[in-house]
Amino acid sequence: MADRPRVGAPATAAATTGVPGPATAAAPAAAGTGVTYGVGIGWRPEIAGFVAELPGLRFAEVVAESIHPHGDLPAGIEALLARGVTVVPHGVRLSLGGAEPVPAERVDHFAAVAQRLGAPLVSEHIAFVRAGGIEAGHLLPLPRNREAVAAVTANVRRVQESLSVPIALEPIAALFDWPDDELTEAQFITEILDRTGALLLLDIANVYANARNRGTDPEELLDQLPLDRVAYTHVAGGAEHQGLYHDTHTDAVPQPVLDLVTALCDRHRPPALLLERDGAYPPAADLRAELDAIAKASAYPAVT
Amino acid sequence: MTAPDGTAVDHEPPAPRQADDPGSLADRQAALVEALTAGRPMPAGFDGFRFEAARVALLRKRAGEVSRQWPLLAASFGDRWKHEFATWAATRPTQGSLRDGWDLARDLLARAALPPMAATELAEREAALHYDGASPPRPRRGPSLRVAAGAVAVQIAGRVRVLRRP
Amino acid sequence: MTDTWGIPGPTFLIYFIAAMVAVAVFAWFHRKALFRGIRFARVDHLGPQQVAYLNGGPKLAVYSAMGGLRAANAIGTGPGRTLVQTGPLPAGVTPLDSAIYNAAARGLRARDVFTDQWVVAAVDQLRDHLETSGLAVGNTKMREARTWTLAGLALVLIGIARAVAGAANDKPIGYLIPLIFFAVILTIALYTRTRWATDSARRQMRELRTQHRHLSPSESPSFATYGASGAAMGVALWGSASLYTMDPAFAAEAEIQRVAASGGASGSLGGGGGGDGSSGGSCSSGSSCGGGGGCGGGGGCGG
Repeated sequence: MADRPRVGAPATAAATTGVPGPATAAAPAAAGTGVTYGVGIGWRPEIAGFVAELPGLRFAEVVAESIHPHGDLPAGIEALLARGVTVVPHGVRLSLGGAEPVPAERVDHFAAVAQRLGAPLVSEHIAFVRAGGIEAGHLLPLPRNREAVAAVTANVRRVQESLSVPIALEPIAALFDWPDDELTEAQFITEILDRTGALLLLDIANVYANARNRGTDPEELLDQLPLDRVAYTHVAGGAEHQGLYHDTHTDAVPQPVLDLVTALCDRHRPPALLLERDGAYPPAADLRAELDAIAKASAYPAVT
Repeated sequence: MTAPDGTAVDHEPPAPRQADDPGSLADRQAALVEALTAGRPMPAGFDGFRFEAARVALLRKRAGEVSRQWPLLAASFGDRWKHEFATWAATRPTQGSLRDGWDLARDLLARAALPPMAATELAEREAALHYDGASPPRPRRGPSLRVAAGAVAVQIAGRVRVLRRP
Repeated sequence: MTDTWGIPGPTFLIYFIAAMVAVAVFAWFHRKALFRGIRFARVDHLGPQQVAYLNGGPKLAVYSAMGGLRAANAIGTGPGRTLVQTGPLPAGVTPLDSAIYNAAARGLRARDVFTDQWVVAAVDQLRDHLETSGLAVGNTKMREARTWTLAGLALVLIGIARAVAGAANDKPIGYLIPLIFFAVILTIALYTRTRWATDSARRQMRELRTQHRHLSPSESPSFATYGASGAAMGVALWGSASLYTMDPAFAAEAEIQRVAASGGASGSLGGGGGGDGSSGGSCSSGSSCGGGGGCGGGGGCGG
């Protein structure tokens, strides 16, 4: 499967200068290789039958922790691979932002899944999910300071050592911030990318959620991020409760998020945009309409 | 970038680190997780409203995951499920959704508050798997018969049959 | 002391065993011939209820229809474990759908649906069609297969008569008693072993099940996404456990019994208990990966 097109080039040497800023380091040819996948979808067993019947699908994602690298793959994943669909493992429990080192067995599992899927890249989050021996059950935000940058960097490097493909890091949506943030979101992300040479998995719904909840302009963040390092983009739905926008993945993708997709593509169109849905799955027609809406917003061909 | 990011929320400006050193990242992360999952007090400096919103959202997310593993347990509470689970789980960090649901079902059973539909589900699980309450459940080797609040399930060679529904 | 009926004990036992084996073998070949079906009969054009009939007989066909109607929000449960109508009958329904929908209008108890005359008529119609296509084993053939029950019964009666006579004759009958027991088992099996699908239908059913693996309860399929026909097909191929995945409250209220689809049965409810593909099974580190979705869900943070 080595002959599959790659979304991103191997990690470049990390720039470890302390001064963050717009990506001055030589950008990995995330989109430079010219390989584009268009609109994709997060594969989940619950909707495997739906994903299997998307005729134009070329790109999908699977939760890495749900895959047995040495056992049988889920039949739906096997079928997608046989069709030539690129399936990227998306880790959710490595806890790269944890102060403690990522456990070796989790790294090994992650790398083995990537190999098993023949994936051209893998992805994880800039977040932590456990601390002090307790599982949070969710992705939690990091304080945006040097200590956290160092923790993430160390863990990403540990993972990179076991990987033969690039890793893309995804900034999360957070309902709360730490009290002592030193860096802006863009500085924080760029610094981590620069130090690790990792690619960016930009979740446009997270950009929207954070900006809305912080009262900032999401397009301003887009202007400050190294968009040429975006390996692919997540698009997801959410809902508002008590004045806060929750990135639920169980609601429809709202129009402002789709508008932000267009705003992103106007600046720099990512090679792939992927719909993430994690529950309360709607009728097939609604899911198809969401995929079409993302295709329309990004001017990629429809996959339905 | 100099634009405000997280500072839009109305918390106190960050205190200088040396004055009251908040501790290492590891300690602070642990305190945060404990506050979110184990009912410990919220660390100083966070926005209480937002922190609470995140805590509740996390519990509701867990409730959704448990309902996938324990459909009858969740269904037996109807619309009250998320509230019921969130109340129970507020001070209990997750052990994975299979065990979370199991622990809740056993708790309800002990309080004689396990709904009949859920009793059937619990009896089936107890017959199929061995769970000591502390480590991940394992499939039972031999045949077994389990009773829970009037529900009776039998397992022979890995096949579970319900003999009686309450 | 003369032999009972003039036949020595050991000789009788041998004859008796030989007769039992002969009945079993002949019955097996006869059934094989009766259940062969039509070689080129196809199942891929069948509707869910037809597939359900072939997999689990009338009961599963009814459950499949109920699954479809429930997914279309046409029926629900009312007080006293009755069925009620909850919405309009969707377009393109089968006669069985209509029969169940009408039964719901009359507030029939869910467990009495199977004996409702309109439902019975609809199932008969469904079966007749499948039988002419060489897919279902019809009543006539099933009756013919069951005639071997008479042979088994004859063996049991002869055995009992011999035992009685032998006992009266002060002969040992210790070996005969277990043989009579086996004859009884054989007789019961000959009577109760019901077949719904012909052999040719069964072979193709395996393929159909592979094709629709995403509907298996172990995948926690989203029936909202797959729609009413997906729900009906899920029940048809994977048994009534699918109804518990789809709508546990409805399934429990309607007293849906576990009807396993032949071949593809999932014995235990839901994925979790069986340890087959849910949190324990397919994850790298036990239950630590629960909540396959990863992020979102209630969402403090997204990813």
